[in-house]
Amino acid sequence: MGRSEAAYLTPMNRQRGKQVLGWVMVVVLLVVIQPLAKLVDYNRTVLGMKSPTSITRIVDFDPTAISGVVMGAALGGFQGVAASMLWIKMEELWDSGKGTWLACMQVMRDVTLLDPHWLEPWKILGWHLAYNLYVETKDPAQQAIYLAKGLDILKEGISWNPDTYELYTELGWTYFDKVRDYENATKWFRAALQFPHPEYIERMIAHAYERMPDLDRALDWYDYCLKRYPNDETAKGATTTLRLRYLPAWRLMQAGQYDAAIAKIDDYLTAEPNGMIALHIKAHIYEQAGRDDKALEVWTLAARLSAMDVEAKRKVAELSAKLGRPLSAQELAPSFLLEQKEKAIPLAVPQHAKD
Amino acid sequence: MQAIYRVAAATFHEAWRRRFLNAILVFAVLIIGSSWSLAYLQPGAELKLLIDIGLGSIRFFGMLIAIFLGVRLISDEIEKRTIHTILTKPVTRAQFLLGKFFGSLATVFSNLALMGIAFYAVFAFKAPGFMNKQPTDQSAGPAFSTEFIYANIAKAIGLTFVEMMVVTALAIMASTLFSWIMAVVFTFFIYFAGQAADFFKTLGNPQRGTGMFSQVVFNTVYGILPHFEVFDMREAILKGTYVGWDVLAQHVGLGVVYTVLILLVGYLAFMNREV
Amino acid sequence: MEEGTIFGLVGPNGSGKTTTLKLLLGLIYPTAGSGTVFGYHLGNPEYKRRIGFLPEGPYFYDHLNAVELLSFYGGLFGLGGAALAARSEELLRMVGMWNRREIRVRNYSRGMLQRIGLAQALINDPDLVFLDEPTAGLDPTAQMEMRSLMQLLRSQGKTVFLCSHLLKDMEPICDSVAILSRGMVRRHGRICDLLMSDAGRYRMRVTGCQNLPLQSLKDQSLDLRIEGEEITMLFADQRAALAAAGQIADGGGSIIELGAQTRSLEDVFIEAVASGGNE
Repeated sequence: MGRSEAAYLTPMNRQRGKQVLGWVMVVVLLVVIQPLAKLVDYNRTVLGMKSPTSITRIVDFDPTAISGVVMGAALGGFQGVAASMLWIKMEELWDSGKGTWLACMQVMRDVTLLDPHWLEPWKILGWHLAYNLYVETKDPAQQAIYLAKGLDILKEGISWNPDTYELYTELGWTYFDKVRDYENATKWFRAALQFPHPEYIERMIAHAYERMPDLDRALDWYDYCLKRYPNDETAKGATTTLRLRYLPAWRLMQAGQYDAAIAKIDDYLTAEPNGMIALHIKAHIYEQAGRDDKALEVWTLAARLSAMDVEAKRKVAELSAKLGRPLSAQELAPSFLLEQKEKAIPLAVPQHAKD
Repeated sequence: MQAIYRVAAATFHEAWRRRFLNAILVFAVLIIGSSWSLAYLQPGAELKLLIDIGLGSIRFFGMLIAIFLGVRLISDEIEKRTIHTILTKPVTRAQFLLGKFFGSLATVFSNLALMGIAFYAVFAFKAPGFMNKQPTDQSAGPAFSTEFIYANIAKAIGLTFVEMMVVTALAIMASTLFSWIMAVVFTFFIYFAGQAADFFKTLGNPQRGTGMFSQVVFNTVYGILPHFEVFDMREAILKGTYVGWDVLAQHVGLGVVYTVLILLVGYLAFMNREV
Repeated sequence: MEEGTIFGLVGPNGSGKTTTLKLLLGLIYPTAGSGTVFGYHLGNPEYKRRIGFLPEGPYFYDHLNAVELLSFYGGLFGLGGAALAARSEELLRMVGMWNRREIRVRNYSRGMLQRIGLAQALINDPDLVFLDEPTAGLDPTAQMEMRSLMQLLRSQGKTVFLCSHLLKDMEPICDSVAILSRGMVRRHGRICDLLMSDAGRYRMRVTGCQNLPLQSLKDQSLDLRIEGEEITMLFADQRAALAAAGQIADGGGSIIELGAQTRSLEDVFIEAVASGGNE
């Protein structure tokens, strides 16, 4: 720099010039950074490196969850660590036998709020509610509440983790095994098929149709399983049993030969009077034949045989209403389970899995 | 260059003699090491806990070191007037600030590297056992090959370093503006707000029915806050996502621009400050 | 300022000494006006190669020892290697720290800090050295040593810029001073000129003059003050003083003190500050 220039550029003026230039650069950089930040954000979303946390969804939350969210906010980026630590504590509590079930489950609930993308706590909490707490009480109303809570927790877990098969499967299994609501079970299992998943899920769908009963669909799904995994011994066995035991009666029913169909299924029921699938099929045949009174009889039998045969209980309620009979079995069907049927499942279940 | 290097070297050496920072490092290594003795847990949880505690500790203690190192760098020099003997030598303020920054960056880097080594040691020993317990029937589930997960962890630690670079710059910037306690509060505040930057984006979303004014406010906050949460790769590791070098480069680029931006603001504040 | 001299900037606390120093050193920038050092604008890093600075109550990176400290400061000038080592040794010997070079700064006494501070200010062999209150807080021996070090610097042809409110320390070593009060320079010049501005006047103190004609003495003197038995008079020159002394001796008075009137820097300072306050 020449001396003459330095003469009129006093230090102060130079400082001011630098300041102005500096702030202009700050603004320019702030503008430049936006598309870059957006690009990173986009890629993270696509790659699944980024998922909403309880903080981002605080606005959607029910007020009781707020404590966990506030805690998460205070911990900033370390909710994951906090969740892990809490989980270890919970395990200790559990193993030492000092903690009550409820205390442990409260901690699990906090963990799900802190790290909602960790699937384990959702599964275990749902399982504890639907299975373990369920058997702790004899009060059917209380049992119904626990079961409903277990299902709800899994559904909330799905809302956080809609892009993996695991929680759909867990929920489908709970419907299948605990609630015995096969229609809902097939819906949730089929939702799991959208994502990379283990082979047993297709088989579970077939099992559910078999119990519903909808033997045609069950067979379709077994065939599909075997096409995908020809060595699936379980599917092979199941489809053989189905064809041998139930299919003849089913085909007769489809042909309109209801009496023959009933006789065929009774053959099997003589050998195994408590066979749930056979009872369902028998009742279904009576329904198809238009003999609702007989159907009600069989459904009632099924409902009495298994306290958890929700399918049967629902049918009993349905047919009793239709025939104008007093609903003697009403108390057997917790009302919430009937409502479950009405709820729309907020998911588009893809068709490609079956086709 | 010489001046920057000298200031940086002095900063690095001084930082390693700060007992408080050494204590944080020791504590972090102890915590990471403690995951060695993790008791039996649910098969699915073990790997997650190991990674959470390891990477989480590196990130958390790295942040503490970066902040507590950075916040005193400038204000202490001014308070103790050591800066007088330095700025009266042929060292410009920009060189001084950069020297301080690179010195702390080297400190943060070495601390993270030590924590990373501790984590790798634990992980290499414990993880193979856990990984074998992963369900095997997942035809297309998460891929947990050892090499793959090691590479992802190295990338995650690298991103943590980039994140801590931004935090260091932030702490130094705060140090040019405030006394150190105020700077600690400020830096923590920005860091945690930056972690939750997405929250402001959610709030500013017109679909929420937010008012026009609030939208502008929330989106501006979102635009200005450094998005610290993007440097968290834990989710990708646990899901077994492959993170390509291009995506990684974008993350690093974002971190570098944040750093330059923050240091520039710090310099503008420092430029005319009476020392 | 003349090269190769010791210049003192004196003034009461808050008079602007430190601000002036900071401006000259480029630690702050002028809000108005400008100045140059070695022909460079204030704050220009170029002239900083040729200056050294010892701050008031210096404080250094306290985890370093004397050698490391000098090596750090030398490095800022781009010095290194054997040249820096030799320079460090020379300076440490000069300030009397060579035998204590391994001690870390955090264990230093006030005097040692001042010594190492001077050494770091000289690491680049500067032409101009700024020293802020270099003798403040030191014990008398250390003050003496510090003064002789400054004279040594002058003898090496360096210009020393001293900044202090300790006037007694400044008087014997400064070649010239500027007196600062409320941000303005009140007096400046060579120290001998400032102190000798009343040159040639004589002062006499006497007692036992009860019998003497006071009026006559008053007429002969420039100033006459009576404090109890004692009278202090000021005369325009030696001749007038001796004449009056003769009269007093004849009249039975006794002379306690008679000599040329001198002033201390303190007198000049108080006068300057007082006159500044009246403006």
